[in-house]
Amino acid sequence: MKIKSPKDFWSGLMFVAVGVFFAVWAIIYYQMGTAVRMGPAYFPTVLGGLMAILGAIVLASSFAPRAGGKKEKLEMPFNIVDLGIAIGVFIVLGYAAKLAGISNDYGMLAAAAVVSVLSVRYRPETRPLVLISAGCIAYGYLMKPLGLIGATAALVYVSAFGGHEYKWKEVTILFAVLILFSWLVFVHGLTLPFPLCPQFIENCPIR
Amino acid sequence: MEILNNLLIGFQVAMTWQHLLYAFIGVILGTLIGVLPGIGPVATIAMLLPITFNLSPVAALIMLAGIYYGAQYGGSTTAILVNIPGESSSVVTCLDGYQMARQGRAGPALAVAALGSFFAGCVATLIIAVAAPPLAEVALKFGPSEYFSLMVFGLVAATVLAHGSLIKAIAMVVLGLLLGIIGTDVNSGVLRFTFDIPELSDGIGFVIVAMGMFGTAEIIGNLELKDKREIFTSKVTHLYPSKEDLKRVWGPVLRGTALGSFLGILPGGGALLASFGAYTLEKKISRNPGKFGKGAIEGVAAPESANNAGAQTSFIPMLTLGIPSNAVMALMIGALMIQGIAPGPQVMNEKPQLFWGLIASMWIGNLMLVVLNLPLIGMWVKLLTVPYRYLYPSILVFMAIGVFSLSNNPFDVLIMAFFGVFGYICVKLECEPAPLILGFILGPLMEENLRRAMLLSRGDPFVFFQKPISLGFMVASAILLVLVALPAIRKKRDEAFVEEAK
Repeated sequence: MKIKSPKDFWSGLMFVAVGVFFAVWAIIYYQMGTAVRMGPAYFPTVLGGLMAILGAIVLASSFAPRAGGKKEKLEMPFNIVDLGIAIGVFIVLGYAAKLAGISNDYGMLAAAAVVSVLSVRYRPETRPLVLISAGCIAYGYLMKPLGLIGATAALVYVSAFGGHEYKWKEVTILFAVLILFSWLVFVHGLTLPFPLCPQFIENCPIR
Repeated sequence: MEILNNLLIGFQVAMTWQHLLYAFIGVILGTLIGVLPGIGPVATIAMLLPITFNLSPVAALIMLAGIYYGAQYGGSTTAILVNIPGESSSVVTCLDGYQMARQGRAGPALAVAALGSFFAGCVATLIIAVAAPPLAEVALKFGPSEYFSLMVFGLVAATVLAHGSLIKAIAMVVLGLLLGIIGTDVNSGVLRFTFDIPELSDGIGFVIVAMGMFGTAEIIGNLELKDKREIFTSKVTHLYPSKEDLKRVWGPVLRGTALGSFLGILPGGGALLASFGAYTLEKKISRNPGKFGKGAIEGVAAPESANNAGAQTSFIPMLTLGIPSNAVMALMIGALMIQGIAPGPQVMNEKPQLFWGLIASMWIGNLMLVVLNLPLIGMWVKLLTVPYRYLYPSILVFMAIGVFSLSNNPFDVLIMAFFGVFGYICVKLECEPAPLILGFILGPLMEENLRRAMLLSRGDPFVFFQKPISLGFMVASAILLVLVALPAIRKKRDEAFVEEAK
């Protein structure tokens, strides 16, 4: 049997896996209850089962010949192993941070950095995907230690590096404009409680 | 003349200077993101949701609504001048609008699009004012079984109207429902699928999922395409359509408005479906269908009226039933919930200022949009020359601030990034993200109503088929599913979406 539609194949597989996972997890850990008094497992089990069935149909249809005999192409810049590695890096470094007794935040930051380097080095087509996501993650986890200025810098420079053209000057001007705007609108205007300066600078000169 | 009284209340609310200001901010932002390709109303509204917490409920809804219908105006500008849809609902406007621009008739095309949208907006506002109160009256009598069936119908309709494979769309809805129940179970207090992560005990924030799936995923997708743009900026000369043009467009505008208003009310409908349906209709009934795609002004007038009408009437199910018909409405419900208002039929009676103020503001907003779009068209066109490499880091910064400010927790941003990657994979696998979002917001509601209905009926699942209203929704859902599964109609549907995708 040959896969005629890789899009259907992978999406079907995803639906089956997630559906089975939700149903099995619910059955093992939560109470089923009865139809009259439904327990916490009831709804997820039914839905997970339904999703697994739908996924199986999609999966089966991926082997059926396509109309017009055209070959469908899936343009994915990474494969399932790459995805597994990326997720693995996050889990391993998250746990490592826990074991080392430092905040999980640094584990996530390190994981984002490792995956970014791997992407740029070995899978250049995934650059937009990985660097945009990594930029967002860096923003979130850098906000406390580095403040709004540091976090915004990380997001702007990293995400700009995910694009096609990267010019230091332009990105720096963009960063300056954005930090000014964020400060005026969000910190001053909407009084969101963001720290501006890095944690290690006491008595931040700008407020 | 209750309606007149109610509208009077509405205008009194909408005409206060704060509300005028928020309507203005909304429509300006809407036009802005409508003009700019690569950022849509869903991502924008999701971005602004956390900020609306600081506003009054009326001001928040007025502003967010302005973004949605404002985007319909702005989207046409990009479609006509650049041949890329600024908004997904202006896909079909590209076909004839861009051809008109190439023939040096960009001005009339823009004017007809704006005036058609204005007319449609006025009519749709009236339709909401007339149709919503009786619908809410009916909805007040709904019990849990009716609500459950209604949600089933809404989700089925949403999948039927989605692009591509029906089964995949249903699977995405189910996935959304499952993701929606992550968190603490209200009935038993059990933490479900939280994997010992404390942040998940309140569930995943809807805004975060929406921003990931529609915001970051879209930016990543856009970065993969290298953009080639050909802009007819210098050619917008005489703006006003000729008498002959006006004679040709009034029919299409009327039909587009009617069809758009109707399709907007349907669950899963809204602006996108409306514009496409209207274009097909005009092509069908035209005496000379060959001119479509070659700069027919009818092909601009009809879909542009329809998408604006559809955008506005899609508020009806949200306002009267508390059920979102598309992703934007799901966000509106999110906005109401942030304000501590439970969406549903009771909103109209308990908060008449909110309800009628919103409706009145729509008319005012439409008026503002005509002014913004016709004389100021040059300003918006200039915006198109801003390169994407400046835009997307800015969009990302606003999204990240928005998500972070929800609870000052970096975990939220991590989840957003996760859903960005997931949304990107879904698009590549041709799984529509919109049904997932609908399922996500309806998940907890559906489970709650299912449990209540089953408790009341003592475990008899036929309760959904015994009450007349509930039975009606179930039958309607079944008919829809069967219809789409029929080979003849499926072929038509596939053709329709293929044409749209071009």
